[in-house]
Amino acid sequence: MDRPTLHPMAWIVWASSAGFVAFVTTDPVYLFLLWAVSWFVYAGHRVDAEHARSFRLFLTGAVVAVTLRTGLVFFGTVSAANTTFSFLEGLRLGTILVIFGTFNAVTDPFGLVRMAPRHFHEPALAAALALSIAPRTVAGVGRVRDAQRMRGIRIHGARALPALAVPVLERGMEEAHTLAESMDARGHGAGRRSRYRPQPWTGAAILIAVPAIAAAATFLAASVGGWAVLHPQTSPMVWPEADPLLLAAIGLLAVPGLVGRPER
Amino acid sequence: MTTRSVLGLQTEVAAVREAEARERRTVLVPGVRMALLVLANVIGLLAFVWPFLLPSVSRRVAENHQGDGPWIVATLGAILLALLFLELGRGGLGPKTVALLGVLGAAMVALRLPGFVAGFSALFIVVLVAGNSLGPGFGFLLGCIGMFASGIFVGGLGPWLPFEMVAVGWVGAGAGLLPHGSSWRTRIAWLAAFGFASGYLYGLVMELWFWPFLTDGSALAWDPGGGVLMNVRHYLAFYVVDGLTWDTFRAVGNVVLVIAIGRPVLAALDRAARRMQLHVT
Amino acid sequence: MSDALRFDEVTFTYPEEGRPAMADVDLAIDEGSFALAVGPTGSGKSTLLRATNGLVPQFSGGTFTGRVSVDGRDTLAHAPRRLADVVAFVPQDPGASFVLDRVEDELAYGMENLGVDPAHMRRRVEETLDLLDLAGLRDRGVRTLSGGERQRVAIAAALAAGPRILVLDEPTSQLDPQGAEDVMAALQRLVHDHGMTVLLAEHRLERVAGWVDVAIGFDRGRVRSGTPAEVIGHLGAGPPVTRLGRMLGWDPLPLTVRAARAAAAAAPQPALPRPGPARNGAGHGVVVEVRGLRASYAERTVLRDLDLDVHEGEVLAVMGRNGAGKSTLLRVLAGIHEPSGGHVRILGAKPRPGVDVGLCPQEADELLFNDSVEHEVRATLAARGEAGAADPWLAALGIAGLAGRHPRDLSAGQRLLVATAAVAATDAPLLALDEPTRGLDPASKERLIGFVRAHASRGRAAVVATHDVELAAAVATRVVILAGGEVIADGDPGSVLGDSRVFAPQMTRVFGPGWLTPEQVAEALT
Repeated sequence: MDRPTLHPMAWIVWASSAGFVAFVTTDPVYLFLLWAVSWFVYAGHRVDAEHARSFRLFLTGAVVAVTLRTGLVFFGTVSAANTTFSFLEGLRLGTILVIFGTFNAVTDPFGLVRMAPRHFHEPALAAALALSIAPRTVAGVGRVRDAQRMRGIRIHGARALPALAVPVLERGMEEAHTLAESMDARGHGAGRRSRYRPQPWTGAAILIAVPAIAAAATFLAASVGGWAVLHPQTSPMVWPEADPLLLAAIGLLAVPGLVGRPER
Repeated sequence: MTTRSVLGLQTEVAAVREAEARERRTVLVPGVRMALLVLANVIGLLAFVWPFLLPSVSRRVAENHQGDGPWIVATLGAILLALLFLELGRGGLGPKTVALLGVLGAAMVALRLPGFVAGFSALFIVVLVAGNSLGPGFGFLLGCIGMFASGIFVGGLGPWLPFEMVAVGWVGAGAGLLPHGSSWRTRIAWLAAFGFASGYLYGLVMELWFWPFLTDGSALAWDPGGGVLMNVRHYLAFYVVDGLTWDTFRAVGNVVLVIAIGRPVLAALDRAARRMQLHVT
Repeated sequence: MSDALRFDEVTFTYPEEGRPAMADVDLAIDEGSFALAVGPTGSGKSTLLRATNGLVPQFSGGTFTGRVSVDGRDTLAHAPRRLADVVAFVPQDPGASFVLDRVEDELAYGMENLGVDPAHMRRRVEETLDLLDLAGLRDRGVRTLSGGERQRVAIAAALAAGPRILVLDEPTSQLDPQGAEDVMAALQRLVHDHGMTVLLAEHRLERVAGWVDVAIGFDRGRVRSGTPAEVIGHLGAGPPVTRLGRMLGWDPLPLTVRAARAAAAAAPQPALPRPGPARNGAGHGVVVEVRGLRASYAERTVLRDLDLDVHEGEVLAVMGRNGAGKSTLLRVLAGIHEPSGGHVRILGAKPRPGVDVGLCPQEADELLFNDSVEHEVRATLAARGEAGAADPWLAALGIAGLAGRHPRDLSAGQRLLVATAAVAATDAPLLALDEPTRGLDPASKERLIGFVRAHASRGRAAVVATHDVELAAAVATRVVILAGGEVIADGDPGSVLGDSRVFAPQMTRVFGPGWLTPEQVAEALT
């Protein structure tokens, strides 16, 4: 009877911290390490096949972003320095995408919505409703198409679209009416609100959030204090640095891969 | 056993509503609220067009931080969106609006799934008709919520999300501000024209999100040291190369859909709103 | 006992309507009663139900005079949300009324809105889960539940806020017989063991008539309350035993099989001989030929090695539990679903959907997309290149008078008739209907039955998939029962339905196998 135990805020903290780290540096050593860390965390926490798909999408998107961004160098003067610069910028963008990919894959959207602060409650509820009604809408489109075929109307091209769109929409409108009545009758918008089983901050959640914050803080200190090179020089080109402290900080971001994994 | 006249009912209901309004502790007067909404949207616009407005800075600063600009703006965009929602949600949307947002948002999620042909995505038709039938406020909300929900569903929650939300929201709001005219033909004509224009406008505005990453000094690149006019020229050149064909699919696709299903769908929405006694915002 | 619900001279008209939906309604329902609202569609039942918690007029708008008080509270003085702790409303389609994902969370939603503190909420949720026997389902997603389970969750969600009065709009209309049983039993427990007041609206009187203690009859906005026998008797409708009783002049009118048996035993009637075959349909050309049919759905084998023939003039009723394969069979016949083995032939060829078979789906609304009934039928005609008029098709279903109306303005039953007309307009050799009487009001059901009979008498063939035993008894010339994807019974209605305990119509239960409809019995006895 345990509810999913990971407070969604833990993941938001993790993703923001990892994103911040990627944001402040273009050093490929750190960035590639972040790719690995993201994948590691994703592998430990992915929820189901659908989320796995979304991670792959982000991964693909990240690779595409890197390629495109590097390719943009052809619009200007091409040189080793310029190409490297472009590549690093692209890598940074790609890293952030991969981190988002992990975030998408490990969080439960309804959990996010439940967490919404008071003033966002209604838009968040609308978003949650959209997510839960969507599969029915998709199924409805298929059924309407079949129903129209069975009376001789084939949906080919724009002409026949109303036969598909109108029944789906009308059904949706009736459901909205029933839903609104039900919500009204059950007290929606009455002003006072409490939360059933507020999500506790478990040990696992803390173990995810705190190291992440520490990692971000380390990089922030490096950026402001200037005691490590975060943006390797491209003209003239030099080998990128790998400061052991910063590497360890990135390692902290991998902690979620070891902690709080869901039961299979 | 008292008989109440129609007027009596209205007074009764008004009393109930007043009590509830007091309960909500809304301290803002409608005028102030409108001003805040406008301000939030202006800030939003600035968040999109900042690459043109960044004043000339010293070369060195620009070199060190030029890559950071977009990310800062992305965060600002998210904050802006939060403010906008805070404002819109403050009055209390009510179960009818929430239910309709849920159902129409679901339609957007469902339509985003099949992917897209170049820039075209069928989800635009939903905000276009919803905004046109249910009002600009609703259209804006639907655009935001639909993009957010569909982003979750297709795994597309990226740092550009707040911008997508606002941009689609603007499409919905714009559709709601169109004149209805005195006949269906007029109404559909306006909506089709707006569908066409918004196909390009959306792309024009969203490309601005990616463009500032391009900083290598070419004729298409963003130059933080350059002036407004130069950057605008660069951007347009970039857009022609990068986005024009993509967006043409969207613009044309929108027109086709509006003409194909606009009228019956708008009629259905209007009826539903009337049956539910939804007051158009 | 005090009044749980009281209506004083209530008159209400929906916005933009001419006639009042409720006219001078005076009504008092005692605490602890189990009440039934009954009457033709559009007579005001739904409106009355929604007036008990203020949805009418506060959600719906309109002109309202008089006073409705619920547990002493005036519905005009409180918003519906403020009455949630006194009266709970459960709509007809529970699936559409769910807000959240898990059963447990859905139960808590109402209480969250009222600001109930978490400890109290936990207790109430547990209690309500037990009350409706849902403890085993608490972690399930609401959309994965069966119809009966969903309805119980909807009831539980409405009850979690602690109201003593429960109002339900056609709770069993979307359910199969088993689901309906579960829900009615749950309601019975709530009334008898927990002292709740339950008011429900229902068409399928045979399901509920025996359980309730007071009935409220609706007729064009006016009401009349009394015992179920009085009210239903007066309305001229009712389950088959009641209709028979009316035809034979029995008094009091029986509402259940048990009462009918008693009345039949007591009444001075001649003994009934074994009846001859009810309807003669077979012996003509074969329209549908099915051999060795295998079909799957969602990776499950649904139909196995099915052999079936349907002849001209036959009406085949396909019956069986939910999941037995009825809908799949119809879809295969229609040419929409590819079989994985065996073959189906309509007039010797593979079925073409919309041409060889016209199938009306369970949700008739999936077909309707035009702005008038007439255009709806014309759309089918246009699709097959016909320029003809819609009238004959509408007249066959008794709805010619609705030609100019917008389908969405019509009642659910009328919309089904429109959809059936639109499908009939394909003029296909085989007409297939999937659960046509689900949620159907008696008047529309009569029209449908008349239409199917006429269709068969013209030499066409029809296949009807249904749970509704009385429908099968009224129209079928042959009955087939499916279980586990196989045919376990195939023959004339008298013997197949007569042999089965589950599928026996009320007349069979009273008078024995072979007796199918009240008209048949009445004719034999007079």
